[in-house]
Amino acid sequence: MNHTLFIAYKLLLERKRQTLVSVTGVAIGVCALIAMSSLMFGFQNYFIQQVIDLEAHISIKPKEYEEEDRIVKKAKQDAIWEVYGNKPKEKDKIVGWRDIIKEVQKREDIAGVAVHLVARGILKYGVKEKPVTLIGIDPDMEPKASVINRFLENKRLEKLKTNKDALIVGKLVAKDLGIKDTGKKVILSLANGRTALLRVEDFFNSGITNIDNSRVYMHIKTLQALTDRSDEVNEIVIKVKDVNKAQKIALDLQKNLRYDVESWQRAYINFLQIFKIQNLITYMIVFAILTVSAFGIFNIIMMTVLEKKKDIAILMAMGYSRKDILFMFLAQGLAIGFLGAILGFLLGYALQEYLSSVKLDVEGLIRTKGFILDRRPIYYLYAFIFSMFFSFFASFYPSYRASRLNPVDIFRSG
Amino acid sequence: MVLIELVNVKKRVGNEEILKGIDLKVHKGEFLAVVGASGSGKSSLLYIMGLLDFPTEGRVFFKGQQVSSMDPQVVSKIRNESVGFVFQFHYLLPEFNLLENVMIPMLKKGIPKRQAEERARELLKSLGLDGKEKRKIYQVSGGEMQRTAIARALANNPEVILADEPTGNLDSKNTQMVMQILEDINRSGTTVVMVTHELNLAKRADRIVQMKDGLLVL
Repeated sequence: MNHTLFIAYKLLLERKRQTLVSVTGVAIGVCALIAMSSLMFGFQNYFIQQVIDLEAHISIKPKEYEEEDRIVKKAKQDAIWEVYGNKPKEKDKIVGWRDIIKEVQKREDIAGVAVHLVARGILKYGVKEKPVTLIGIDPDMEPKASVINRFLENKRLEKLKTNKDALIVGKLVAKDLGIKDTGKKVILSLANGRTALLRVEDFFNSGITNIDNSRVYMHIKTLQALTDRSDEVNEIVIKVKDVNKAQKIALDLQKNLRYDVESWQRAYINFLQIFKIQNLITYMIVFAILTVSAFGIFNIIMMTVLEKKKDIAILMAMGYSRKDILFMFLAQGLAIGFLGAILGFLLGYALQEYLSSVKLDVEGLIRTKGFILDRRPIYYLYAFIFSMFFSFFASFYPSYRASRLNPVDIFRSG
Repeated sequence: MVLIELVNVKKRVGNEEILKGIDLKVHKGEFLAVVGASGSGKSSLLYIMGLLDFPTEGRVFFKGQQVSSMDPQVVSKIRNESVGFVFQFHYLLPEFNLLENVMIPMLKKGIPKRQAEERARELLKSLGLDGKEKRKIYQVSGGEMQRTAIARALANNPEVILADEPTGNLDSKNTQMVMQILEDINRSGTTVVMVTHELNLAKRADRIVQMKDGLLVL
C-alpha cells in the first residue's frame, strides 16, 4: 500500500495549484458546516434549554370544549336542525387539583409539581399601561417545578412569601412601562373590575422575548383573592427527570385525566418545526458547498487520469494491479478531503472564535448580547465524515476509470 | 527450459485479426529477436508474452503455468517480479527523479525503501548514470532516459526483459550502448526478447523470428 501512496503523493504535489484550490473548496464547506451548525444549534439549544428550565415540562390545563352536543340534545328528535353558532367554552379551573398532584407525585419519573393560577390583567405605571399575563405561583412549590429563581435579576422569589403585594415583572414588560428599579408601585386592573396597588420586587429576564414581554408573577393567594377565585388553580406544572420523555409521560398522564395534558414539545411544536426547517436549510447550503468542492475534486482527479494515461499504463506494465491504480487515485481524492477537513477545522475554529467575540444586541425570538454558539466537537466529527464521504464519491469514478484503462491500447496509441 | 510458450495464439482487435495463430517457445537464457515490418504484430506478440495483454484464442504458458487460469493479482505479481519491459519511448514518470523511477517496481514488490534505493543506485551506476540519480527526466538526454528505463526494467531482477524497439528513438551511439547493455543482461542469464525492425540489430540475438501479417514466417 505504501508504494501506491508514494506515487499518489507525488502526483498530488505535481498539481500544487489545482490541489490547493480543491483543498480550499473542501475547507470552505467544512468551515461552513462547523460555523453554521454551532450557530444554529447554539441558538436552538439555548432556546430549548431556557424553555425547559423555565416552562413546565408538562402542564395540565382545563380543556376547551364545545357545546354542540348539548344544543342538539335539546332539539326534538325528529326535527331538522342546524347549529349556526357555538362558542368554545372553558371551565377555567382544575377540580380536585390536590388529588391530581398526589397521583402525579407518586410517579418515579416526576421531579416536582407546582400549581398556577393564570389570569389576564392590565398593568399601569404612571400614564403607561400594558396588558399582561398574570401567573399566580406558590413560592414554596414553584422551585420544584421550574428554575424560576435563576431568571430573577435580584433573586427575590422569597419576597412573594413575605409581601402579598409583591410582583415579579417580565423585563420587557418593565421596559415598556418605564420601570427601571424595584420598589416601584404599579396598578393592576383585572377583568372583574377590581384594581390593586402592587409593588415591583424583582425583574424576570429569561432572554425569550415573548415570555419576558408578557409575564408577571405574583403570589397565588393574592391573585386568587383579586380574581375572586379562592383556592382555584387552572394549571398544574410538572417537572420530569428526563425532559426527552416528557411527551411520553404526558400521554401516559392523559389516560387518567379529563384535563388537557401538554408536554413542552407539544407546547413549542411550532418552534421545534421551525428549527427543523432551519436545520434542513443549513444542511442544504452546506451540501451545496460540499457538492461544488466535490466537483473540484472530481475535476482534478479526472484531469490527472486523462493526462497520466501513459503513466498508468507503464505502472500496470511494472506489475501494478487495477486495485493499486484504483487505490492510488482514490487516495489522492481522500487526501484532498483530509487536508480540506484539517484546513476547514482551523478556519471553522477561527470563525467560531470571532463569532463568540462579537458583541451585539440580538433581539428576536431570544435576546442575547452576542451569538450563542454550540461548540461541541461533534460538529468537527460530522464535518470530517462529510468531507471524506464527498471526497470518496467525487474521486471514485475517475479512479475507477483509471483502473479500467487498457495499457496495451495506450501503448498502441503511442 | 521453456520460459514462455505460446500455442496457437490469435489476437483480434475490433474486426482485425492482428495475430493469426502463433506458436512460439522462448527458452530461459536466450536472446530472441522478433523482426518484421511495421504493423506485422510484433508489439502485440510482445505484450502477450509479457502478460500485459491476453490472446483472443490460444494458450500462453509462463514457466509451464497457463496464464488464462491465473488470478489477475498473480498475473500482476509475475509482471512485477519476473518481467521487465523496455519500450521505444522511455515512459519514465516525470514526477519522479531517475532514482525514484527505478525504485518504483521494487517498492511494489515490497522491498524496503532503503534497500530499494541502494539497488537503484547500483543499477544506475552500472548503466553509467552515476551522479545523476536525483535528476528529473527533463534534465537528462534521450540515451540516459532509455538507460534509466532499462535500469527500471532490471530493478526486480526479472527472468525476462521484453524490449519493444528499445533503440527506435536513439542515435547510433546510444543505440550501440543500449544493445551492449541488453547483451550484457542476457550474458548474466536473463532472457531477452527484443522486437525490432532493424535486421542488423536483430542479428546480435541468438535467434531471430520474423513476423508478417500476424504470422511467424521464420
